Amino acid sequence: MELTGLFKWLDGVVASIVSALGLPSWVAQLIEMIGVAAIVLGVGAVMIMFLVWWERKLSGHFQQRFGPMRTGWHGWLQTIADGIKLIQKEDILPRDIDRSVFYWSPVIMFCCSFAAFAVIPWGRGLIPSDLNIGILYILAITTFVVISLLMAGWGSNNKYALLGGMRSAAQIISYEVPLTLSILGVIMMTQSLSMTAIVAAQDKIYNWFIFRQPLGFLVYLVAATAETNRAPFDIPEAEQELVAGFNIEYSGMRFAMFFMAEYLNLFLISAIAATLFLGGWQGPLLPSWIWFLLKTLFIVFIVMWFKWTYPRLRVDQLMGFCWKFLLPLAFANIIISGFLYH
Amino acid sequence: MAAKIKVYSGIKNLIIGLGVTIRHLFSHAVTLQYPDERWEMPERSRGVVVLLSDKETGDLNCTACILCAKACPVGAIWIERHRGDDKRWKLDKFEIDNTICCYCGLCEEACNFDAIKLTGKYEFSAFDKESLTYDVNRLQELGLDVDYEPKRKKPAPKPAATPQPKPATDASAGEAKAESAAAANPEAAGKSPEVAEKKEQPGDSAPAAETKPDDNNEEKGA
Repeated sequence: MELTGLFKWLDGVVASIVSALGLPSWVAQLIEMIGVAAIVLGVGAVMIMFLVWWERKLSGHFQQRFGPMRTGWHGWLQTIADGIKLIQKEDILPRDIDRSVFYWSPVIMFCCSFAAFAVIPWGRGLIPSDLNIGILYILAITTFVVISLLMAGWGSNNKYALLGGMRSAAQIISYEVPLTLSILGVIMMTQSLSMTAIVAAQDKIYNWFIFRQPLGFLVYLVAATAETNRAPFDIPEAEQELVAGFNIEYSGMRFAMFFMAEYLNLFLISAIAATLFLGGWQGPLLPSWIWFLLKTLFIVFIVMWFKWTYPRLRVDQLMGFCWKFLLPLAFANIIISGFLYH
Repeated sequence: MAAKIKVYSGIKNLIIGLGVTIRHLFSHAVTLQYPDERWEMPERSRGVVVLLSDKETGDLNCTACILCAKACPVGAIWIERHRGDDKRWKLDKFEIDNTICCYCGLCEEACNFDAIKLTGKYEFSAFDKESLTYDVNRLQELGLDVDYEPKRKKPAPKPAATPQPKPATDASAGEAKAESAAAANPEAAGKSPEVAEKKEQPGDSAPAAETKPDDNNEEKGA
């Protein structure tokens, strides 16, 4: 069940078809790019649907409820039903919004989250694009989410939306710092920014960076939870204070795009954590992509577990925690790994 | 130094918190899957009001004494009745308006004949208010599967019991039961006198008590 040759096979098929038709080679490249993107998007969409369902089931069971039970076996069709409902909804545009900003905000958010999947190694040889600056690219492209949130907050012309947008901008920019610094420890040890090289460096279980960089893993996990605006760091959409935060004026499919981007982000940070700290797709017996998914879902579970354990932080506590606690820890991690391994 | 200790105990508490939630995750859900599963209602729960029938004859236990209508604090019970040929009250109409019923159970307490009872049934929502007024057929139908234990009969009130000679009422009660039962179920007709005998005391007391104030009216509404 190894899918190692999937992208190469696609490459070959497309190239032979295009050359048979006598078209220039850039057409082959374009089709291949679209094909790979479609595969990743498909997998991403399935993962979003699964995560939404799983989140609801876990939320239920953490509270000793069942969660969705009536749509399909244990409610597995629930996300599909929700999606159909959201597609049918009217796309309401409030009168005083900034139209273009309001329009493009969810698109940018989804695209930025989705673009980061280009350098995620899904399995042995299953990496859509093996950039030699992979992790840097992820950090750069995910930061665009801040712009999207600010756009949503500003464009909605609503005080709650603006407050939510500003909060999330402050939060994401702050937590970007310990997040990057915690990843730096891994980069120092692998001497490479390439995701493939990082996975290759964790060939044995005792080489996993979670054992070599436990502090870095913890800092990454906490900072990443904050990055995705999830509880206990969900002040940008704190329901009790901001109604819904930056997405309050959004409805229908535009709201759904924010929602999907949120879960895509959750999957993304978990996939990065699995790749950087848990040995990526490496593992015995099972195919590599199953190992990758298992490890990623394990991290997703931990993040959801956080959500149902910890109460939301106040805004000042959030900032204090980041700058006074996480940042020194991240620096300590870099210094310690510098002394120990070089 | 104090801050340091706080950090350690804080981390410890965070881990304790995670332990608490994971325990809840793996303990069994308390939710009842309502339309598929239902609570077993306690025997004395006060849900929708029904009229009980005799288990053997299938007749209503109601003797049209209107004690329940009088006991009802909100006037949800409407009874119309007339004197039969055997001088016993016959029901013309027995209606309970569930929109004003407050499920206090006073009608059940007032009833001497195990005729009216509050049950554990609670699923009787409807689309219009009119259909929530249940007539005698609906009330009887609802009461068919209700299991009840015959009440311990109260001794008849003295002024009511003395003027009526006992054998006469016994016979009339037996006849009334037998007549109606024979129409519905000829086989059960033989058993009905026994039932009537069991019920002799309340059978003679309450109608007698009720006749005095209501003698001049053929119909009585409450």
